[in-house]
Amino acid sequence: MSTPYYVPETSVPLPPPEADVIATACDYCVVACGYKVYRWKVAGGRVGGPRAEENAFGEDFPVNPLGAWVAPNMHNIVLHNGEPHHIVIIPDKDTEFVNYTGNSSIRGGALAQKVYNPQTPTRDRLQQPMVRMFGVLMPVTWDFALDIAAEVGNYVLEKHGTNAYGVKTFSYGYMENTYAITKYALRHVRTANFTFHDTPSDVTSTPGFRDAGFDNFGPSYDDWADAETLLMCGTDPYESKTILYTDYIMPAILGGQKAIFLLPRKTAGVAFAEKNGGLCLDIQPGTDLPVVLAIARVIVENGWEDTEWIQNWVNNKWESSSGFGQGTRNTPWQWRTTWGQFQTAGFEDWKAWLLAQDYAIPENAAELAQIDVQKIYTAAEWMAKPRADGSRPKTSVMIEKGFYWSNNTGNTQAISALGITVGAGGRPGQVIGRAGGHQRGGLRGGGYPRNKSPEKLPGRRRRAMDTDRYLMSGHTRLAHVIGTTWVQAMCGSQSLQAKFDELTTRNPHQVDSFEKEDIIATLKKRVDSGGMVVWNQDIYLVDPIGARYADIVFPASGWGEDTFTRANGERRLRLYPKFYDAPGEAKPDWWIIANLAKRMGFEGFDWENSNQVLEEGARHSRGSRKDFNMVLVKARQEGKTLHEKFAEFGTNGIQGPVLMDGDGNLVETKRLHDVARVLPAEGPQGRNVFNKKLTHFNSQTGKCNIQKAPWSLFSSYWEWLKPREDEIWISSGRINERWQSGYDDRRRPYIVQRWPENWIELHPTVAEARGIESGDYVQVYSDRIPVQKDTIVGVEGSDFDFASLLRNGHIELTRASITAVAIVTPAVKENLGYMDFLHTAQPANALAGRVVDWISGNYNYKMGVGKVRKMGESPYKHNFRSMSFARRDIA
Amino acid sequence: MSTVDPKIRAAINGANDEAKKAGTRPCLMNRRSFLLTGGIATTVVMVGVPGMPEAQTPAAISTYPRKLIARLSELNVDEPFDFEYPDEGFYAESILVRLGQRAGGGIGPDQDVVAFNYTCTHQGGALQGTYQAGDKALGPCPLHLTTFDLTRHGIFISGQAYQSLPQVLLELEGDDIYAVGMFGLIYGRFDNLQG
Repeated sequence: MSTPYYVPETSVPLPPPEADVIATACDYCVVACGYKVYRWKVAGGRVGGPRAEENAFGEDFPVNPLGAWVAPNMHNIVLHNGEPHHIVIIPDKDTEFVNYTGNSSIRGGALAQKVYNPQTPTRDRLQQPMVRMFGVLMPVTWDFALDIAAEVGNYVLEKHGTNAYGVKTFSYGYMENTYAITKYALRHVRTANFTFHDTPSDVTSTPGFRDAGFDNFGPSYDDWADAETLLMCGTDPYESKTILYTDYIMPAILGGQKAIFLLPRKTAGVAFAEKNGGLCLDIQPGTDLPVVLAIARVIVENGWEDTEWIQNWVNNKWESSSGFGQGTRNTPWQWRTTWGQFQTAGFEDWKAWLLAQDYAIPENAAELAQIDVQKIYTAAEWMAKPRADGSRPKTSVMIEKGFYWSNNTGNTQAISALGITVGAGGRPGQVIGRAGGHQRGGLRGGGYPRNKSPEKLPGRRRRAMDTDRYLMSGHTRLAHVIGTTWVQAMCGSQSLQAKFDELTTRNPHQVDSFEKEDIIATLKKRVDSGGMVVWNQDIYLVDPIGARYADIVFPASGWGEDTFTRANGERRLRLYPKFYDAPGEAKPDWWIIANLAKRMGFEGFDWENSNQVLEEGARHSRGSRKDFNMVLVKARQEGKTLHEKFAEFGTNGIQGPVLMDGDGNLVETKRLHDVARVLPAEGPQGRNVFNKKLTHFNSQTGKCNIQKAPWSLFSSYWEWLKPREDEIWISSGRINERWQSGYDDRRRPYIVQRWPENWIELHPTVAEARGIESGDYVQVYSDRIPVQKDTIVGVEGSDFDFASLLRNGHIELTRASITAVAIVTPAVKENLGYMDFLHTAQPANALAGRVVDWISGNYNYKMGVGKVRKMGESPYKHNFRSMSFARRDIA
Repeated sequence: MSTVDPKIRAAINGANDEAKKAGTRPCLMNRRSFLLTGGIATTVVMVGVPGMPEAQTPAAISTYPRKLIARLSELNVDEPFDFEYPDEGFYAESILVRLGQRAGGGIGPDQDVVAFNYTCTHQGGALQGTYQAGDKALGPCPLHLTTFDLTRHGIFISGQAYQSLPQVLLELEGDDIYAVGMFGLIYGRFDNLQG
């Protein structure tokens, strides 16, 4: 890890004119800004000069604001074809889209510090496969590690069944890798014990959007800027998708856009909006739903709804039911509607339901949320009140995890209905969607075998397996973990970790031999004894999943170390080319999976390079929001590879779904559900796919389902959970400067200096009552972390309601405690402590209940409670070198 | 010597020991000698110890001009004084301010006088006129809202800066405040002293 003391440099080498220039995109947030890598040999000692003709930028130094400046953090030295090369990585000053001003966030600005250089804190990159022998992970050959993995893997499948083989993987680590992983896990292994990095179950993140017919990433970035009123729920885009804020929303606010935030905590983007006339509905955690419905109520009571839109684009009684009641009723969007809790007979029916909900009366909602009720009325007015000339404000609605991981089903149903009411969806500046977290690098190589899942809900409803609960029950005998922290990234993480300990390190069958056959035999015995073996693919050794639990570690390569492809939050597909050598024997995940699969006897894994993987996977993208199959068709017409074709688009990329017109030109898609878009009358030709969502909504009729969002589905949990006595809400989320688990940031001295460890923002009243000052170490703890321990067969409609689970003994209360550095600030709601969501040593998720949203199967990560007490002073309290306790919401 | 990362050594002494060749005042020489013989680990701990006199801070480069910029007795708390350093070129404009509370690298009896470059180390926004007395901060930058903590060596509070705000190293001689060096690269330049 990096020292927290950072000595800034005072000069930087400039790339000479002959430097290689490689266009790529950022590795981090969903916005995926365009970058250029400048690369030149160290040998010869050549560097560029300050005059335009002496450097690769063609710029005179000093450069202008927004110019091609190279901060020292943007320079590094790497091996390329085995030879040392300088690299300089700066945001692309020529790109036309996304970061069109040549701007970047602090994350992307430090990209050069992520690449492997043994002179920097990246020196602990995993470089050789390792097998745990005598309790220690020892470097071995690929053959040795893969032989063991293949034989034990097949043994588990044959003896304990496919569901005993668990695969927990990143969902976004580039399409070449996710295709290979899902092809292996879902098409060949066919396990239902499969999910992604941020959820215990492979289920939709936004069930309400799915039911309404909204794609998560339908809008274009221009739409967010074109909105006249923008409601942002559960995120400050400045903090985690910076360029979307600074280059789209910020100029829009200065141009008169009315920005409304629904958030319990204020950061710079909120402060800027408020200073410029914006509004922050500073709710307490979990009360989004009543507030959203109260806004909707004010709108419909005043008759401000978008009547014409509703008439054209909302399903009536008969349309709502069409397509239902047929077939198996065994897809999530079908069975959610059969609860009788959500489906309506159209707008008027929904309106009648809404007006009958007491908690949606503005005064009641404001009381629940502890906000000024006037803000509800103001928000309703801004979003929907027609102007004097009868024209309507163009209103858009953005949501993100603070919102949809608080009351997953309820919040997403409520916001969809509000969005429909104000006419958001499918028109310029009038859209609804997610802002996004990570980039969109998923490509499915197989379908999820839902019928193999044990999760049986009332009625004929089967939901994807809760892989955490399955593991807690001892059914997972082999955990294959790819590029994710798993333990601390899930809820109630400390009791989850205790189970991992029991199944792995505390199992009596530990490898005490260096002979391959002995190792295999021991691991089989552990599996048979009810224990678990762990394979871990990653770029760094993660504690505990790799460092403590893994029996085999496969070193992976990442960004810049192979050529990959991925889309951003407006479906823009770009190529991320290889520009330097991966360290040691590290291999891309697709290669690791392919070589394991071949040894296990699976066919169809004979790829020679990442381009071949993507070319095979292209047809699986058809009909998806990032459909790029026609790019492959075009590439083949031109005698190019798919990667070569993507490279031609550079940092501009190409916006999916990509169609082909009659003249053979590729046609991009600016927004989904684009009701004004005219597609060729003769319909799809050749391999073109005209998915319904190009011009309509993603529902049974192509129109929106306006659905009910009963508070009662969540209120029993919320009422039980809400702070008692001296407890406060404990919530968490991203902080601008730190990406995911901080796997790169922990190795950047500059970032470590700012955030050496986890912290908790506390309101002055809470802090004062406990004698806590900024810079103090505090303990954040609770003895009532609820954990759903049993997998039950649901019969009655309420079997999975929290009150029923509690009454019937399916909830266990566990203890948890983590430490943090206190930051006392009025920027948080009074009864809320807010932390970074994923420090591996101080995981905030330890305080969040491991109880899934009982309709969707997602965790409500943002819902935790705990007590806070002072431990003493941290070294940062009086030391000027590290951290800052100044408020982050200065405007 | 082998314990010192070559990059850090280069940052302190210049890429090719330029500092040594350029010649320097004895106190700086001592400081550097201490750095290289004492080992970098010891040194950075010393940098972090509150209450250490400014002279213990490792000056990154010793070829900066020694420039008289103001008199301590004329500085009022929270009233910024503008000056240019290390030259009169682009982005040389800097803030000298008495914060009224102890700060990293602060001089004077209360160790509360600090100086920083005025140009945002993100995209070159001008931070003139953004001093926040309440928070002892510069910013938000008009371009992209970055804020900097002047009590903590110019580290960003929130925002997008690619490095801390360059801190101008100060020395006090009687009542005279001298600028003698810098921590960190000034926006727009590839080298603080070469533009």
